[in-house]
Amino acid sequence: MALFEIFDPKAPPRPIGIDLGTTNSLVAYVQNERPTVIVDCDLEALVPSVVLYEKGGAVTVGRRAAMLAPEHPRDAIVSVKRFMGRGADDPETLRLGPYEFVSATPGEPNTVRFKVAGDRVVTPVEVSADILRTLKAQAEDELRNVGGAVITVPAYFDDAQRQATKDAARLAGLEVLRLLNEPTAAALAYGLEKKQNGTFAVYDLGGGTFDVTLLVLDDGVFQVRSTGGDSQLGGDDMDRAIAHELLAALGFDPARQTPQLVRLVLDEARKVKHALTTQDEVEGVVPGHTAVKITRARFEELIAPLLERTGVACRRALKDASLKVGDIDGVILVGGATRVPAVRRYVAKLFEKEPLADIDPDQVVALGAAVQADLLAGEGQRDEVLLLDVIPLSLGIEVGGGVVDKILPRNSTIPSRARATYTTQEDRQTGFEVHVLQGEREMVAHNRSLARFTLKGIPPMPAGMARLEVTFDVDADGLLGVHAKELTTGIEQTVSVKPSYGLDDAAVEQMLLDALDHGEDDLERRRLAENRVDAHRILAATRKALVADADLLESGEHARIEQACAALEEAARGESASLVHARFEGVDEATKAFAGRRMNRAIARAIEGHRVDAVEKSVEHAKGVEEAHAPPR
Amino acid sequence: MDPFATLGIPRTYAVDLVALEKTHRELSRALHPDRYVDAGASARRAALTKAVEVNEAWRIVRDPIRRADALLELGGVPTGEEARNTASPEFLMEMLEQREALAEAKQARDLAAIRRMAAAVEAQSAGAERALGEGFARGQAAELAGKVAELRFYRRFLDEVSAIEDELAA
Repeated sequence: MALFEIFDPKAPPRPIGIDLGTTNSLVAYVQNERPTVIVDCDLEALVPSVVLYEKGGAVTVGRRAAMLAPEHPRDAIVSVKRFMGRGADDPETLRLGPYEFVSATPGEPNTVRFKVAGDRVVTPVEVSADILRTLKAQAEDELRNVGGAVITVPAYFDDAQRQATKDAARLAGLEVLRLLNEPTAAALAYGLEKKQNGTFAVYDLGGGTFDVTLLVLDDGVFQVRSTGGDSQLGGDDMDRAIAHELLAALGFDPARQTPQLVRLVLDEARKVKHALTTQDEVEGVVPGHTAVKITRARFEELIAPLLERTGVACRRALKDASLKVGDIDGVILVGGATRVPAVRRYVAKLFEKEPLADIDPDQVVALGAAVQADLLAGEGQRDEVLLLDVIPLSLGIEVGGGVVDKILPRNSTIPSRARATYTTQEDRQTGFEVHVLQGEREMVAHNRSLARFTLKGIPPMPAGMARLEVTFDVDADGLLGVHAKELTTGIEQTVSVKPSYGLDDAAVEQMLLDALDHGEDDLERRRLAENRVDAHRILAATRKALVADADLLESGEHARIEQACAALEEAARGESASLVHARFEGVDEATKAFAGRRMNRAIARAIEGHRVDAVEKSVEHAKGVEEAHAPPR
Repeated sequence: MDPFATLGIPRTYAVDLVALEKTHRELSRALHPDRYVDAGASARRAALTKAVEVNEAWRIVRDPIRRADALLELGGVPTGEEARNTASPEFLMEMLEQREALAEAKQARDLAAIRRMAAAVEAQSAGAERALGEGFARGQAAELAGKVAELRFYRRFLDEVSAIEDELAA
């Protein structure tokens, strides 16, 4: 079919949705209002998240890499998502896995570095970028021209992990429209197709992460009520449990094996797990050894503790949302591991309800991401569908005695901001250390440290006189910015929280330049093209607003805005990206006050609209009462 | 900032959270950044600023402690660090004992006992909320800081219970 299509260089850019999974990744887009996964030349949609680095520089991604992985246990990176945003010394990094790590030299960021293909060093961000490049190429084959991408992440991903995912996309040359939480994406896929209102639980047991999300679907608004989970729990753990069983049955010590054997046994364990979905008894065969019989009953015994851990997270999420099991109208299953019969039984028992599984649990997240990408790119009915997301973990700062003061509690709707004021503990204290933490525990040591900075230059004052105001801002992607200000002197400092062991902007920019054939030139041309597209969007939106809210314009304001628009229009016809950018600012400046007035009107209408709604309902109710009491005619 | 004004509701402690959630959703619908993807930077920023304000207001008003703090502040009663330690010594003693009992139950991995303690504290917490509702309705803001401090202790106790439950389950 693709052979007969005529290549169109002016094909419109099509937005895509990407599920960047631990075990498999997928890409999807919306075609004729239906989300559809994009398949490769073998008609396969799932791309195994495996990247093989061969000597000589060849990079192989997907099924072939997965097939070759057992022969190249150190050069084939499997489940790289587990390493995203983690420090090299994180205990999780060092868990059962055949990789060789390069330790950072002092002064370098403490990133995980894999040593592959003899002497090549790659970071998890680069490995993920290689997977994303493959998905992008697959989409380009189908769509000719790929626009921006919505990429899904586990709801439980912390700030560092989200930032690492964004960095990987940039490195792969993808414009990120939005990072979307996986369960939210699943609900989006279901909600749009089924048009159901109600309260839903999304139970997502993927390869490496477990998430549970409770959301309310109400006339096109998807509101996340709470999320919970475990970023270190998934189908891989089931494989590991079976692998330990196999190794033990063969008389091996699971902790002291060659990487080749570990990889072989893990692959066999995965096959056993899959076969047990339909069979009651399966033989695990490790080449060169006797077969080991594993029954479904034994498998269910092995995974029972894992399931119980998911149950704890589910009960916590219900509690956070002030909901009871009976309030849940439906449970959506996501992730390949939910195919395991014992998982379905467990979920049905936990929520007292048969879970929904109409959509392939492996595809549902990518399909939802495609829906969101379509909405963001303005091709769908954007006014009618919105996602109100929350932050998954509380954010706070360290106060006296190693205690955390939570500034933004988990499950706060984003974008959001919160402030708290503190004071100095000692006389003549001139510096104030701000230590930003993420997590639910009371003590600093039990939470994750996100950033640390010192506000300096406070004039010496007696203890308790200084007033330090700390502001947390979380944007719509769930990324955090921290601002600290000493109120009596006005000294201030802002940090945007970047993972201390991630890549800095300069490093990403450099990798981007290296990846492009012509470096700076290409980058400049790309910027110009992007700025032109933005200019047209902004001009259209501004002129529409001038008509729609003409009555809010002050005298002379219309002419000033139109003048700025004309200047931008002219720049967009030229060749300078930076001039277009400067003219954006001109339009921005000219429309600032007008935009503020329009927003106040939008708010007044939203509050008013709801009241009118409520009044109508009570009138209806009163009418019903009247009719009931009306005498028969 | 007056979070009650932002959401268009009167300044009271007793709030209809179900109705307010609906209002918040409507406001979010009007202001969400996704609706301003095409718009110019000024419209995007204005929408974002308002969305942040609305979410902040909703976060404050729906939380029993933050809502009380906001009412105290609006009533001119100091809150924040120095005002937090206004619980009575008897209450502090009682909480200290409860925390010790919790630590012992944790040591013994006695989940049933932990849940019993949590249920008792939840009941106390609900009682404190009722008292706050009545107090604010009578306009006695100045005398309520202690009750808010109590709520804070209950919250911290229940957070610790949650953490222990997670730990024992893992």
